[in-house]
Amino acid sequence: MKPKYILLAALTFSLAACTKLDVDVESELTPSNFPTNEESFIAATGPVYTRLRSTFAIDYWRMQELSTDEAIIPARDGNYDDGGQYRFMHYHTWTADHPYVKSIWEWGFGGINSSNRILSLFQAAPNSPARTTSLAEMRTMRALFYFFMMDLYGNVPIIKDAVIAEPPPTAARKDVFAFIESELKAALPDLSAAAGQKTYGRPTKWLAYALLEKLYLNAEVYTGQPRYTEAVAMADAILNDAATVYTLEADYMSIFAPTNGPLTKETIFAIPYDANVATGNQFSRFGLHTGLQKKYNLPFRPSIAMSTIKDFYLKFNLTGDVRNKTMLAGKQYENDGSPILIATTKKGMDNSYTGADGAAKVNYHLEFTPEMPLVKENTMDVGNDEIGKARGVRSIKFYPDPATNPDTRNQGNDFPVIRLADVLLMKAEAILRGAAATTVKGELQTPAVLVNKIRSRAGAPTVGAITLDELLDERGREFAWEGWRRNDLIRFGKYEDNWGYKTNKETFRRLFPVPNSERSLNPKLVQNPGY
Amino acid sequence: MKINSYHSWATQLKCLLLLCFMALGGLARAQSAAQQISGKVTDEAGAALPGVTVLIKGSTAAVVTDDAGSYRIRVNSAQDVLRFAMVGKVSRELSVGGRSVINVTLKDESNTLQDLVVVGYGTSNRKNLTGAITSVKPDQFNAGVISTPSQLLQGKVAGLNITKSGNPNENGAIILRGPSSLRAGAQEPLYVIDGVAAASIDLVAPDDIKAIDVLKDASATAIYGARAANGVILITTKRGDGVAPGLSYSSYAGTESVSNTIDMLSAEQLRNYLGENKKSLNPTDDDGSATNWQDVVQRRGFSTNHNLSLYGGSSKTSYGISANFLENNGIMKGSALERYTLKANVGQKAFNDRLNLNFSVFNSRTVRDDISPLVYPNMLIYLPTVAPRRQDGSYTEDFSRTRNYLNPLSLIDNNIINNKIKTFLGNFQAELDIVKGLKYTLSLSYQDENTNGNFYNNRQSGINRGLNGVAVRNAYANTKKLAETYLSYDKAFGKHVFKLLGGYSFQEDRNGDGFQSSNQGFVTDELTYNNLGLGDPLPGSVVNYGTVRIQTLRLISFYGRINYDLDNKYLFQASLRRDGSSAFGLNNRWGYFPSASAAWRISEENFMKNAAFVEDLKVRVGYGVTGNSLGFDAFTRFSLYAPVERFYYDGRYINAVGPFQNENPDLKWERTAMTNVGVDFSLFKGRVQGSFDVYNKKTSDLIWDYRVSTTQYFVGNLTANVGQIDNKGFEAVVDVSVFNNKKFTWKSSVNFSHNKNVVRSLSNEKFSLSAIPTAQLGGKGQTSNYSQVIQEGLPIGSFNTYRYAGKDSKGVSQFYLPDGNLTTEYSKAAVGLTGNAQPDLIYGWNNSFTLGRFDLNVFLRGVYGNQILNATLAGLNSPGDATTNNIPQFTLNESVNDNNSYIISDRFIENGSYLRLDNATLGYSFNLEKLKALKRLRVYTTASNLFVITKYRGIDPEINMGGIQPGIDNNNFYPKTRSFLFGLNVTF
Repeated sequence: MKPKYILLAALTFSLAACTKLDVDVESELTPSNFPTNEESFIAATGPVYTRLRSTFAIDYWRMQELSTDEAIIPARDGNYDDGGQYRFMHYHTWTADHPYVKSIWEWGFGGINSSNRILSLFQAAPNSPARTTSLAEMRTMRALFYFFMMDLYGNVPIIKDAVIAEPPPTAARKDVFAFIESELKAALPDLSAAAGQKTYGRPTKWLAYALLEKLYLNAEVYTGQPRYTEAVAMADAILNDAATVYTLEADYMSIFAPTNGPLTKETIFAIPYDANVATGNQFSRFGLHTGLQKKYNLPFRPSIAMSTIKDFYLKFNLTGDVRNKTMLAGKQYENDGSPILIATTKKGMDNSYTGADGAAKVNYHLEFTPEMPLVKENTMDVGNDEIGKARGVRSIKFYPDPATNPDTRNQGNDFPVIRLADVLLMKAEAILRGAAATTVKGELQTPAVLVNKIRSRAGAPTVGAITLDELLDERGREFAWEGWRRNDLIRFGKYEDNWGYKTNKETFRRLFPVPNSERSLNPKLVQNPGY
Repeated sequence: MKINSYHSWATQLKCLLLLCFMALGGLARAQSAAQQISGKVTDEAGAALPGVTVLIKGSTAAVVTDDAGSYRIRVNSAQDVLRFAMVGKVSRELSVGGRSVINVTLKDESNTLQDLVVVGYGTSNRKNLTGAITSVKPDQFNAGVISTPSQLLQGKVAGLNITKSGNPNENGAIILRGPSSLRAGAQEPLYVIDGVAAASIDLVAPDDIKAIDVLKDASATAIYGARAANGVILITTKRGDGVAPGLSYSSYAGTESVSNTIDMLSAEQLRNYLGENKKSLNPTDDDGSATNWQDVVQRRGFSTNHNLSLYGGSSKTSYGISANFLENNGIMKGSALERYTLKANVGQKAFNDRLNLNFSVFNSRTVRDDISPLVYPNMLIYLPTVAPRRQDGSYTEDFSRTRNYLNPLSLIDNNIINNKIKTFLGNFQAELDIVKGLKYTLSLSYQDENTNGNFYNNRQSGINRGLNGVAVRNAYANTKKLAETYLSYDKAFGKHVFKLLGGYSFQEDRNGDGFQSSNQGFVTDELTYNNLGLGDPLPGSVVNYGTVRIQTLRLISFYGRINYDLDNKYLFQASLRRDGSSAFGLNNRWGYFPSASAAWRISEENFMKNAAFVEDLKVRVGYGVTGNSLGFDAFTRFSLYAPVERFYYDGRYINAVGPFQNENPDLKWERTAMTNVGVDFSLFKGRVQGSFDVYNKKTSDLIWDYRVSTTQYFVGNLTANVGQIDNKGFEAVVDVSVFNNKKFTWKSSVNFSHNKNVVRSLSNEKFSLSAIPTAQLGGKGQTSNYSQVIQEGLPIGSFNTYRYAGKDSKGVSQFYLPDGNLTTEYSKAAVGLTGNAQPDLIYGWNNSFTLGRFDLNVFLRGVYGNQILNATLAGLNSPGDATTNNIPQFTLNESVNDNNSYIISDRFIENGSYLRLDNATLGYSFNLEKLKALKRLRVYTTASNLFVITKYRGIDPEINMGGIQPGIDNNNFYPKTRSFLFGLNVTF
């Protein structure tokens, strides 16, 4: 062969080698380098918890609370109308395009799919005690997300695997119920029985029992079959076996304080929030008034929006009840007892003022009024003069956190999802609804006995007996703003009552609609009746 | 996943060296009869003509005459033909024929037919082009304070829509022939600087540019393949090829001021207005002052530019050095741009001039000072009734108000946003004539860009209240390695001329290598961001490490082009590029980008010989396919994990690591197929020239993030290729030499373009979307409302808002419902289509005059038929808020009780048409016959943006047209400026 052709061949070969397109991935985690050791497996479980935390205290909370008598965000001269999203929740006029209907579906199924993905990662990993516990924890977390989805949307698809070829079909609520029940029972033996720092923020046996109690208490709503006796049994599993693990905190306010955490002896499962690294708790941002900034030493300006309506505030009527202190109503005072004054004018204080001296300066003494008359009916607007800004009772249950991040307005109060008080009051309710009272550690626990544990801790008068309606009010006082009001009202058949400006009595609204955005992705999803 | 990295840059280099040696092999057989030619080029009056290009035909060896009109060039044989060409003169070609001195006279002609046009991997005569290419020479550049090269072209190139605010640090948006991508940041054209593709545009000072060629249609751009869909802008810099040494200095200094402001109420007007309506300010909001906040935060900006350059060379060697300094102080206090650029090149010929080596380096250092975007709304809404500072010197602030109401002067003074960018580009080029007509070219480039970001919100900052100063610093390096190698072969026999080109290119960009750190809680502001260690952060606060993503992108291409010219009448061109990119999915890593075009020079036909007034008439037809791979990152195809915040685990908050991106094996470039039909003409010996082009551009495989079900994917969205956008339009350019005699010349040039944009589809069988709502503008009570929609059948930038229906009996704004009824409350149903932001016509009109030694250039440009959503005015128009915010004069005519007046509706969609006197320059060149030391001395004065004729009610109708929500003025607009400057050009 002539040298020329050798060169040509070399050139051709060389050019063929000049077509490699693979490049180094230097700063990214990919399936080839993650997860590889025990610590990275732990890190891989994290997204389930960060997902749970992300919108729990905002969008999820708003679905469960703005649709009830516990909380309201009225517009203030056009501010906080935001496309009507708060108003639609209050009026019960949401649609399948409502932003929370969409975001919470994505949130819930995001958590479910993350759990599935992590379960598949762990199933491929070598066996170890840590793996066994982690698998049980992920199954419980998946069941918890399913509980939220089943409670809100009712009929939702059951997805058990990480990646499936076909879009999943809708399952009936009772089937979802059965799935959650069997998953929790299957996970129970492998879950940790310890509370405190080691397991805080993650599922334990006691969460599984408490969640089962919640399921059984609501079984009549969820499946049509009452299962109150089993609800009591689940409560007793905790009350008997975890008697040294959980006790009612003597200081009610400490359960929700910025300093709450693994040392809080009452909390069975909490979502840990931190002002800087675990964000998403913004109760003070939305709920408080700028005039309270100094009193509570807040490093940011609250935005005045969220409050409680009169109907619900009036339930806080027991003498000596520390829970009354979670609500701010009436004239407000600084810590030193001096009035909180806002420098304004007659017109600035009250926009309806028609006198000629509207510009005259006045100091308005900040006064939160339970009454919230509307200045603009169609947008649920209470006005933005000083009186308008002070409309509505404010809640400081999640006590203002002076260490709130001034930039992001995130505060550090952990959110208790289930606590011992709920285990007790659920048991009381199950007995009132027909289950037999049981004896725990030598004490026959009748509804009154159980309710009085809560009342005594709160400093409120005890009762000799209690009716279901009284129990609902007690739950309102005890669990206000803890995200259970919608669940309670539906169970008591009162979700269609009138409160605030709401008059809608459509019963199909006990379920939220499947978001349209999801139905366009998955045609097998069936819309709930009425929507 | 196995990461394949053995194939390094070094291997690529080996490939290239191999090619290089192959080429050198041919050198041994080279023959030579080299000879030096010299002479002088004069005009018809006998005056020396500097700047004439003298080129050996069939090669790229060329020199330029010096200021005495003299040249020296080395030819290879007596058969060589020399071409003498200059803008505005009739080119001449003369055979060497054994002479050693060749003096030439060039006649005037306002004719650009012979101009060399850079076409990508080569050059062509304008008369031989088959595609739509616009060349812009330095004398046609826009004058004024130029901070980015795109400003030079604004209004000069039909089909190129450039929008830029007055911000010296904003590069402006460029859209060629209509928007054809749904991704913001994916609409920039490909810049090629001296053959180096995707080089940083900041490296080039306007004074160093010899020519800019804009490749517009796909038959011209397809040679650049997957990056060419937005057009290609080729910048050729001055090099000093074989000309006598010459030192030039040019400089200007000027002032800029705001060209327009929004008429807000004065303090007195506001007090009166409130008084009349029985309202008043809170006592803390009125200290008796009268402050015009726009005046407080704006200033007369001083700008200056100096350019010193030395070019020269012999027949063997050429060199050039140029240094440039630009200082552009914005009219908003606190905003400034400072840039140093240094460029040097050396060229050397060897092996009997058959090997031509060129080394060049570009270096630039840019320092940008910016201001918080919160300044723009606050300079309007901040109450005029308080002074900028209190008696004790502190800034007047009312922190009890909602968050974004902040003293605009304090925002400027107490928040530092500083960026430093250092860029280096080194380029080595070798050209080798292997045998006659066969040439080998090798080009190796390395670009290194280092960015340093420095941010400090000080202890007084209203943005980070309570943190006692927040400092963030970052440093990132971006490097680019580029190797191009190609063979070209030119052959003519009889009536047939063939040009062949074949090449290979390798590019690797490695971006984002660096880090960020932060601290807060400083006891003093004296050291700003300079000493992070001095901070004492609040307990629990975390360091902001930013997101470090080292991204490596590799592009490998093969390309070829063939040109065939039959009898100088029928021109054909075909090209094919095969592009591979590491960013694309494994199933779509390689793509082919073909093009074909043809042109018929009708004027060369016999039947046209009688039509003597027709100098040139050419019809062009072309079709090509190009790609757009901008705007998504190098690793979009990978399955990736990333930290998703932190979670509580056993007493600590630790990183949660979860999937952040789905694997995407199908991802590929956006595909643009363009058909172009054009006519070029030159009449009356070039007195009237021009071209018309009609195009049809179809972009398919649009890239968008589609929502996918997380039951089938790990992450809820997937970047996928779906959808189609069409752009159809026409462009016209006419240049007329109205007067042309010794004393007085007048040239007039008009260009205009029309484009019709429509989104054809957003769906395919796998992904579907009926519409993408865009433009979430916020505003009072409108947090989740959208104001534009991208929808099938509509252009990008279609407004989707309420439709204003006047006021009801109480004076409250009401809006139409679809059924014709009226509403005053929020209702999604009330939102409807209300116009679009795309212009019908964009035009530019330039007139240049010379009278004796004076020269005058006046450039007008404009846009017609577009609409702008004036969300700024809508947001301000709230009479009910006059006790807390200032309001504009406009609001004085509103009913006081209108609590809907601020809602974004078609009431605020305004006609955006305008005509701007963009710039006018008057110059005088001194008679230097008796002054030997100087060859040229010209002084000039330029006024920019002298006036705008428009009905638009905002600050300026030139609103950003880039991205997917064009034509929206929403409190983010850095005002346009008006500038006056004096300048000087000297050549020694």
